[in-house]
This record gives sequence, C-alpha cells and structure tokens, in this order.
Amino acid sequence: MTARRGTLATGLLLLPAALAFLGLFVAPLGYFFVQSFWKASSFRIVPDFQFDNYARVFTDYGGALGFTLGVAFMAATVATTIAFLFAYAVRFSLGRAGNVLLVIALITLFGGYLVKIYAWRTILGLDGILNSALLSTGLIAEPLPFLLFNTGAVIVTLTHYLLPLAMLPLFGALRDIDDSEIAAARDMGAGVTRVIIDVVLPQIRPALLAAFAMCFLLAAGDYVTPSLVGSPGGAMFGNFIQSQFGLRMNTPLGAAMAFSLIGASLLVLGATGLALRLGFRAR
Amino acid sequence: MTIRRLVPIAFTGAIVLFLLAPLALCILFSFTTGPNAAFPLPGLGLGWYRALSDDPQFGAAVATTAQITLGCGLLSTLIGLSAALGLARLPRGAAAALLLVLCLPLMLPPLVLGLSLLTFFNAIGLKPGVLATMLAHLLFTLPFVTAVIHARLVTLDPAALEAARDAGASPFRAFLGITLPVIGATIVGAMLIAMALSLDDFVITFFTTSSNTMSTLIWGMMRTSISPSINAIGTGVIVVSLAVTALALHATRYRG
Repeated sequence: MTARRGTLATGLLLLPAALAFLGLFVAPLGYFFVQSFWKASSFRIVPDFQFDNYARVFTDYGGALGFTLGVAFMAATVATTIAFLFAYAVRFSLGRAGNVLLVIALITLFGGYLVKIYAWRTILGLDGILNSALLSTGLIAEPLPFLLFNTGAVIVTLTHYLLPLAMLPLFGALRDIDDSEIAAARDMGAGVTRVIIDVVLPQIRPALLAAFAMCFLLAAGDYVTPSLVGSPGGAMFGNFIQSQFGLRMNTPLGAAMAFSLIGASLLVLGATGLALRLGFRAR
Repeated sequence: MTIRRLVPIAFTGAIVLFLLAPLALCILFSFTTGPNAAFPLPGLGLGWYRALSDDPQFGAAVATTAQITLGCGLLSTLIGLSAALGLARLPRGAAAALLLVLCLPLMLPPLVLGLSLLTFFNAIGLKPGVLATMLAHLLFTLPFVTAVIHARLVTLDPAALEAARDAGASPFRAFLGITLPVIGATIVGAMLIAMALSLDDFVITFFTTSSNTMSTLIWGMMRTSISPSINAIGTGVIVVSLAVTALALHATRYRG
C-alpha cells in the first residue's frame, strides 16, 4: 500500500517534466520527421510518403552539406583541442590562479550569442577595430580586406562561442584523474606529451567525444554566424534549411534537410568516436 | 621562473584574453562619441545609450523579453524541482538514465528544434507569441534546472527527512521544513541559469515569437546596419548575463 503510494507520488512528481518533454520535443520532432516525407505543391503541403525530398537534398544541396560538415569539423576540432589544453593547464599546472581563470572563462558562457558574433563583425570589418588600430599605429598603410566575410572568420567566431562550452565536460573529466598516476609516469621519465597521449587522453575519451560532439552539432546547425561573418557565397547548410521556411515555405524539404544534417552529423561523430578509440588506447 | 611554468600561464592567459577581448571591446565602443566602432576613439559619452532609450522599439523589446525570461525561469524551476524530487526517489541508475533522456534536446542544433516547434505549434494552432516562446524555452532550460537541483538533492542526508516523517510530518511539511531550506540557494541558482539561457537564446526565439525580443531586435539591427547603438544593447545583454551567471555559479556552489 505505502509502496504503491510511493510509486504514485514519484510518478506525479515526474509528470510535468514528462509532459513538457513529450509535448515540446517528441511530438514536434516526430511530426517534423513525418513531414519530411510529405510533398509541397504550389504552396500547399500534402501528406504523402515519398523520398523525393531526401533525394533533392543530396542532388541540390549535397555540396553545401559537405562544406558545412567540413567547417563544423574544423571548428569543433580547434575548440576541443584548445579547451583541452586550457583545462589541462588549469588542472595540473596553475594551482589557485587556474581556478580564477576557469571561472572567468566559464562566465563568458552565456555572454550573449548574437553579441559575440556582432563583436567579431566589428573587430574584423574593413573599417573595424582591428584594421583601424593597425592603421593608426602605422603598422599597415591600407586596411586588410581579408579579415571578414570568409570561412576563416566563421571558424574564429564559432570557436570563440564554443570554447567555454567544450571546457565544461573536459575539466570535469580531468578533475577525476589521479595525480599519483601522472607523477608515476613522470618519474619513469615520460615527457609531458607522452603523459598526455598515453595516460590522460585515454582516460578522458568519453568527455573528449562529448565536447567534440556538442561543438560539432552546434556548429553544423548554425546559420547566424555564416550569414553575418561568412562570405556571401559560403552559405552553410543551416542557411539553406532556414530559407525553406521563409518565402519558399517548403516545410517538407526543409524537414528532410534537417534530418539529413542530423544523420550525416551522426555518421561523422561515429567515425570520430572510432578514431579516438583507436588513437588513444590506455597502455 | 622557468619556461615550464611560463608556457601554461602564457597560454591560458592568451585564451582568456581571446574570450574576453571581444566582449570588452563591445562594451568600450558602446561609449564612443564617434559614428562607428573604430580606433582612434574620438571621445567617451552616453550618446548611444540615449539614442537607444529614445527608441520605442527598444522599450517594447525589453518588456517582451522580461515576460519571457521571468515566465520561463519560474515555470522551468517549478517543473524541474518537481522532476528532481521525483528522480531522487528512484534508484541511481534509473535516475541517471532519465536525466540523460531529458538532456537529448541539448544534443540537437537549435535550428532543428526551432523549426520543429514552429511547424508543430502551427499545426496545433498555438500562435507565435510570448506563451509559445516561453514554452519553447522550457525545452533547453529544463534539463539544466533538473540536473542542478537533482545533483544537490542526492548529496542530502536522508536521516533528517526520515526523522521528520517519523515524528508525523506530512511529506509536504517535511519538504518545506527540511529539504527546502537546504536546497533553497540551489533552486535560486538553477532559476538564474534558466533565465540566463532564455535571455541568450536567439534561434528558437526567432521562430516562435511574434514581437521583437532583445535578441531578435539585435538581429534586425545587425542585418541592416553597424551602429554603436548595437554595442549599447550588447553591453546591456553582456552585463545582465554575466551578473546572472556569476550569481548562479555562486548560489549553486559550482566549482569547475
């Protein structure tokens, strides 16, 4: 009797969150998935079951998809690598000062996604902060035109946004590593690089993959950064997805594009996980 | 000081500078008296803030954002607290698995979530607006709130709660008298995290709102111009988000 009342109470406590999860995640995403098989004809959307939308994704937008996965891979690799080195330095060589630096880095986590992109636009622009500073110090005679509106600017901006996010799981995992194990490896004459590759990285592999996956998925789905700091011709897949919901209003094609992006991203992440497993084995 | 000590300090210092400099420059140039964000700074003043406060669009956006942020913060804290209390009654493995499921929405790009919500809300007849955005924000605030409160709950000593129950207190009284005072700061911290996340979101807001919020207003201004008045709004967003995050980290006693 009490046990059953206890179960009932647990269920009731969990109910609101379950309803929110079903109503805001499972149902919308399921409906969106179903729509990806529907057909749009002359501005009307007709229920159907056909794969034309998916076929169009690969024939019409295959290049954009590949480009986007490449940019996301670069940004995620850069962000995860820097975040790891930062977290490693904070954990093992900086002592108390390290904690202050970590808190400062984490505080920028919610510092305004759009504001960060805007800041980079004002920094890298033709008459922007960097160019004007270099001009007024006399280091350059003409403003450098190649700073903004290219893929490099997209990767710098994405890295800036993703870095604090990638630090979270990595620092959490590094905190759990036993100091004595590192000391033992060092005593036996292993250099810092050897210790990192043979002792540290194999132990934090799940966190490494988690940080990479988070960065990769956010970068792959981003359409704001490329449209504000990217090159006019270098639209990413998210820009094409978003444009299906504007004037064209082809929801089924947009849905098929969204699920193709997720599917392709999962393939990349699966391959990355496998590569990490092969690359960093505990010895 | 040897090279071995110097390299990590220089590296981490450079990274922190990389993270902070764009935000600091955004704040600096919000005070410029010049027409754009560039050196040399002609002078410092509050002109761009004045221009902003005279803009009726800005006041409306602040009001809309305040409704969404506060509503989403309260709602996700109530639902998340309830869920965390429920999870704490389950075996550890089951609780961890359910928490992971609840975090699934964080694994998808906001663009996909935003578009699926737009399509779904459209289908069930929920019009874009404050309510739709508030509900949509629950999707990514709820996992954080639940995880933070649950993490605090599992560190509690069950003995005090059992003693209160043995002495005849109802579960609700025991919660109010024993659990709530201990986890109060964590609940406040979790609510602040939810509010910071809600404030920061642009993509999901963009697809579910009918009137401008702070973030869609910034987006509109960014698309059409580069003006230090965007720096002024940006400074407001930075200051509020940083303050909320710092308070949240303090309240939840998050230490890395």
